[in-house]
Amino acid sequence: MEAIDKIVFGDNQFFGINHMSEEKAQQLAEKFYNIQNIYKVYNYAFEAGIEAIMLNSNDRAKEICMYFKNNKSKYGHIRWYPSIPYPHKYANMVAEKGILSTINEVIFKGNTTLDVFRMFSKGATAALTKDVIKMMQMLIDAELKMFKGLNVRVIFLQNVITDLLLGFGVKEIFYEYCEYIRNKYNTIPGFITLNLPYLYNSLNEWGINEVAICTSYNKKGFTMSPNVESYIETTNTNNPSSYQIMAMSTLASGAIPVQEAYDFINNQKIQSVVFGASSKNHIEETVNMIKL
Amino acid sequence: MQKFKLGIIGMGRMGITHYSIINSHPDVEINAIADTSKLVVNMLGKYVKGLTVFDNYVDLLNSGLVDAVLICTPPFVNYPIISMAASKRIHLFSEKPFVTKSIEGKELTQLFQNKNLVNQVGYVNRYNDVFIKTKSLLEQNTIGKIVRYKSEMFTPTVIKPNKESGWRASNEEGGGVIFEIASHLIDLTNYFFSKPLNIIGTSINQVYSKNVEDIVSSTFIYQNGITGTLYVNWSDESYRKSAIKFEVFGTDGKIEADQHGLKIYLKQENKNKKLRKGWNYFNFIDLYKPVPFYVRGNDFTRQLYDFVKAIKNKKHLPLCTFKDGTETVNIIEAMFNDVEINKR
Repeated sequence: MEAIDKIVFGDNQFFGINHMSEEKAQQLAEKFYNIQNIYKVYNYAFEAGIEAIMLNSNDRAKEICMYFKNNKSKYGHIRWYPSIPYPHKYANMVAEKGILSTINEVIFKGNTTLDVFRMFSKGATAALTKDVIKMMQMLIDAELKMFKGLNVRVIFLQNVITDLLLGFGVKEIFYEYCEYIRNKYNTIPGFITLNLPYLYNSLNEWGINEVAICTSYNKKGFTMSPNVESYIETTNTNNPSSYQIMAMSTLASGAIPVQEAYDFINNQKIQSVVFGASSKNHIEETVNMIKL
Repeated sequence: MQKFKLGIIGMGRMGITHYSIINSHPDVEINAIADTSKLVVNMLGKYVKGLTVFDNYVDLLNSGLVDAVLICTPPFVNYPIISMAASKRIHLFSEKPFVTKSIEGKELTQLFQNKNLVNQVGYVNRYNDVFIKTKSLLEQNTIGKIVRYKSEMFTPTVIKPNKESGWRASNEEGGGVIFEIASHLIDLTNYFFSKPLNIIGTSINQVYSKNVEDIVSSTFIYQNGITGTLYVNWSDESYRKSAIKFEVFGTDGKIEADQHGLKIYLKQENKNKKLRKGWNYFNFIDLYKPVPFYVRGNDFTRQLYDFVKAIKNKKHLPLCTFKDGTETVNIIEAMFNDVEINKR
C-alpha cells in the first residue's frame, strides 16, 4: 500500500461545522459563502507545504473540484482524499421521501442518458434494491463523479455510514467496498470512524487489509469510543502496512490548546493527521507542530 | 454469559440506527426483525446470518425467538403491538411518543408493571451529556429555588410545502410538530421540573403543512409556583440540525443550556461544586463522556444500553419509562385542548 500524506488539509471549517459554538460556525459559513475565500485558504495551506486535501462530497465540493481541475497546471500535484457520501443530504432526503426514492434520485440525478443506460444495464432500481452490493457501487460512482480527473489517493467512507454499517457487522459490505475502490478507482480504500478499536478488530477478523482509517484522536477522548486508552492500544499493536491511521479532531473542536494537542499526537503511532484551519497563522503553526 | 435475544419491529430510519447500536452490545443477539416493507428486511435477511425476518409483528412476537423488542413503528399502530408483547412477557422499548392517547398509555404502563416487564420510551435527550449535567445541577438546587424557565426547540424538518401523507398528516395518528418534535421538549421539562398543573396560552401556526401544525408555543404553570414557556418550530431552516435551548432562572442564579454546552451564573460562589460567582462555562467537550459504541450520538447508545441494563438487573429502572411517556402524551392532550379553548 502506498504511503498516505502525513499532513492532510480538511474541510469542516468551510462548511459551517463547529461542535463548540453555533456562532463560530455561522461566522465561518458567512466568511466562506464567497468561494474565493476558500481558495485563498487552500493557498495558505499550499504555501505552508501541504499537498493533500480531504474533501467531503457535498454540493459545494463540486465547484471546488472543478476549480482545481481547471487549474491543473498549477495544482496537478495535489493529492485528494475524498470522503463520501455527504450524510446530511441522505438523512434529509430519506426523511422526506423514504429510502427507495432517495436511492433512485441519487443514482439517476445528474447523470446523462448514456450513464443511466449503463446503470440500467447493471440492473434497474427494483432489482438493485435486492442486491445491496450493486446498489452500493452505483451510489459510490454517483458520489465520486465530481472527483474524476483529480489525483485521488484514498477514498474514505464517511463515519456516519461506516459506523452504522459496522454495527450491522456484515463483512461482505466492507469487503466489497474495498474491492470496488481498489479495482475500479485504483486507489486505497478508507474508512472514517469514531470507533477505531471496534473497526480495527472487525477488519482484522474479516481479513480486510491495506486500508486507510481516519479517526478522531485527541487527548480528551472526544468522539473516541470506547476510550482513549483502547485507541492507544490499537495503534500500538497496528502494523502500518495493514492499516494506515489518520488522526482527525486532534484539537477536539478547539477544546485542547494546539501545543498540548500535538505533544500528545506526535507521540502516537499514527501515520497521518488531517486538520482544518482558516487563518494563515494557524495553518503554519499547526504544520510546524506536527512531527510524525 | 448467555446472550439475550432481541427483536426489532419497524425498520425505518430509527429501526436501522437502533439495530446498529444495540448489535454492538456484548450481551445482545438480534434474532428477528419485522417490517411491512420488504426492502430493508430482505437486504438484512440476505447478509445477516441467523436473522429471521417477518413482514408483520404478530408472527415475530409469536415466534418465541425474542426476550425483548424495540419498536420503531408509527405511534398510532403501537397500542396493539405493545399489548401483545406484554401478553407474551416480552420486555419492550418504544420509540417516542409511544402512544397517541394517554388512556392507552396508562393501561400499558399498568400492564407492564403488573408483569414486572422492562418498559422504556425513546426520549433520548434524557441521556444527552449536557442535559444530564443540567438535571444534576437543578436537582442539587444549585441556582436556588427555580422561579421560571424558557424552553425552545428548532428543527429544519418541514421547510417547504410537502405532500402530507399517511400518519404524518394527522394529529390523531401522531403527526404534527407537537407529537413529533415538541414531545421531546415536553419530556425534558417533565424530567427537569416534574409535571405541570396547568397549561395555558397554547397557540399553533401552520407554515407549510395543511393538516397539521408547524409551530407551537405554550405556558406551563406548576404547583410550586414555577412558570415555564415552550416554543417549538420545525420549519426553521436556519438550523442545520435539531437544537434545544433552555434558560432556567432561580433565586440564586440561572442556567443556560443547549447542545453546545451549559452556562451557569451564580450570585454567590459555590465552593462545594467549585463554581465561582458570576458565569461558569461547561462546553460540550468538557461534558462529553464516551460510550462503548458510537453511531448517532452518545445519547442514543446510552439509551439502549440502559434498556439492556434494566433487563439484566431488575432493580434498575430506565431513565424514561412508559409512565413518563404517558405523562408527555397527557400534556400533549392538554395542549390540544387549550388550542381549541383559545380559538373560541
